Amino acid sequence: MKKGGLTMTRQGLFAAGVAASALLAGGASAQELRFTVWTGNDAHLEMLNGIAEGFRESHPDVTVRFETIPAGDYTQKLTFQIAGGNPPDLGWMFEDSIPAFIAAGVVEDIGPALRETEGYDLDDFSGPAMDLWSDGDAVYGIPFSTSPFMVFYNKDMFEAAGLEDPLAMVEAGEWTMEAFRDAALKLTEANDAWGFEFKDGEGYDSRIMHAIMPPIRAYGGHAWQDGECGFDDPKAVEAVTILHDMIFEDQSIVPPGEQGDFFSGSAAMTVNQISRASKMPEAGFAWGIAPLPTGPAGAAPIIGQAGISVFAQGDNKELATEFAAFMTNAENVEVMAQFFPPARASVLDSDAFIDANELIPAEQMAHVSDAIKQGSVLPSHENAPKILAAMKPRFDALFRADADVPATLAAVCAAIQDEL
Amino acid sequence: MASLNETGTTVRAPRAPWLTLKRRETIEGWLFVSPTLIGFLIFFLGPLIAVVFYSLSEWNLLSQDTTFVGLANYEDALTQNPDFWQVIRNSVIFAAGLVPMNMALALALAMALARPFRGVVFFRTIFFAPVVTSAVAWAIVWKFLLQGDAGAVNQMLATVGIDGPNWLREPNWAMAAVIVTRVLKMVGLNMILYIAALQSIPRDYEEAARLEGASEWQIFRMVIWPLLAPTTLIIMVITTIGSFKVFDHIYLMTGGGPENGTLVLAFYIYQQAFEFFEIGYASALAMIMFVIVLALTVVQLILRQKGST
Repeated sequence: MKKGGLTMTRQGLFAAGVAASALLAGGASAQELRFTVWTGNDAHLEMLNGIAEGFRESHPDVTVRFETIPAGDYTQKLTFQIAGGNPPDLGWMFEDSIPAFIAAGVVEDIGPALRETEGYDLDDFSGPAMDLWSDGDAVYGIPFSTSPFMVFYNKDMFEAAGLEDPLAMVEAGEWTMEAFRDAALKLTEANDAWGFEFKDGEGYDSRIMHAIMPPIRAYGGHAWQDGECGFDDPKAVEAVTILHDMIFEDQSIVPPGEQGDFFSGSAAMTVNQISRASKMPEAGFAWGIAPLPTGPAGAAPIIGQAGISVFAQGDNKELATEFAAFMTNAENVEVMAQFFPPARASVLDSDAFIDANELIPAEQMAHVSDAIKQGSVLPSHENAPKILAAMKPRFDALFRADADVPATLAAVCAAIQDEL
Repeated sequence: MASLNETGTTVRAPRAPWLTLKRRETIEGWLFVSPTLIGFLIFFLGPLIAVVFYSLSEWNLLSQDTTFVGLANYEDALTQNPDFWQVIRNSVIFAAGLVPMNMALALALAMALARPFRGVVFFRTIFFAPVVTSAVAWAIVWKFLLQGDAGAVNQMLATVGIDGPNWLREPNWAMAAVIVTRVLKMVGLNMILYIAALQSIPRDYEEAARLEGASEWQIFRMVIWPLLAPTTLIIMVITTIGSFKVFDHIYLMTGGGPENGTLVLAFYIYQQAFEFFEIGYASALAMIMFVIVLALTVVQLILRQKGST
């Protein structure tokens, strides 16, 4: 017993010592903000740490720790951190998960704080860009990346097919869905490659919305609106039929079950965001970016968004909000614009943004800027995970050579109606 | 007690009656098993009991809203949810395809590789290697080989004039593909179990049967197969349970698609819990899976007992 007692005392002393030294080392007023992100890119993290360093000028005792969680697991792991009572103070949020987080009440309304922040100018963020992140006066996140989907094209393959450059077609107002389809077919015939590859080759799986929404919007259709499904609308049916024909009749789009890759030269065109331009220097061919093709409804640019939110259960909400405001002030948005296109009108119109990306020429960046101003965000919903899961098997049926497009799209609507 | 404190050396003596050899051994025994026992209680039994309670509630992980709903989750799964029955059907097809194929192939390989010959270790290693290969690597390589027209499998079929299907994009073919690739991955384990069983059969039996004029088939049918019965039962039980629990393979190769054609129970539970965050519903499904696996095991044990009497 005595021996045991002695050990206990020793352990107690040790624990007290550890606690004391931790307190001493930490200092009384030092605070750490934990900020989850999905990038592991060194250049991105260097930029983020630079912004955190700037914050220390006004808050010398505050350190910000950026914690990388891979994109594929991001929402899942974040949810488990929150459910486990260990939420980060701030985090990046995907456009497709923010509605569910708002509905669950786990992200803080930082609107009042931002409006009180001197020189912040919340109204500088364009209305459409804030749509997803706000509800009336409440602001649940600030978009830090508002990046339109652009057509990346292989100039060498366009030349080999004797086609006009897409940017020239844009100038002439001829970059339509018909011209796009025609180009894809000719590119396939003239090159040993597919004419077009869906975003990251995932158009039949995780990127279905990225595959179908550009033509659907160009034809004036929509995915869903006010609880009503729009996939069975004749405009959407017409647009999806064109895609289906391109895949199975023209055979100009990488079909389901095959792997093509624009960046290694096995597809002549793809759709992606400008952050992917970082892959281009290794590609070894001449390339460019053009807007999405237009349709009967005109130009319908589509934007992918990501925002910064403060978590309602965090211990340092006030400080976290201050950092969110600092990170998204005009100066830092300009810094981030090299990787993440801004939603601040003042930055968007500036030369700083047009010249921000050294890989993309200014005139092409001007198209990016236009797309951000005119574009709309991909469809979102608080039940998004369930809607996408319910859609998936029906779209599997759609992407088969013998599919009945109108009937399959009607089945998509029937499958998701309850969740809308 | 007071006398004990007078001399330190006498402290042990009075304690001896309490700490008998038997007690000491008992304590030591518990100490030895305690690491496993504590792990079992915290990481196995605890969650198992928790799942029962979770399954009776509607619990949204994100909003932390928990409502006690009684058996509503079970009722919904069994009577309201059409996906559930498709999932059960898929799981049964998967098991019905995988178990016999796996066992037949394992037995055939074991028969061929049980007796020593030149290079036997090499062949055993070849067939066992996939078992210890990373499931992720295995699935990704097969996914690549099973591409539509460009895949190696279809290109090989094309050389003999067969126009192969788009394996992972057509529901029935996708199911066949995941079953066969799963069998190829796991068959080595059962092969080893069968080899061990075959090697434990005394050769005298076989020789005696041969002297009596039995054919090779008769020796197998009348001598070897009955003696393998206990091993066969164990293999059948673990392979069936394993096939109902299959997750990683489906997740990596098809994601439950196409058209939900390979959406099996374990993957469906994952989807409910970790994509939709419906922990209560997922727990109810997990309980249903537990009951199914338990029932299958009991049935197999009963069949075995009937067979031996």
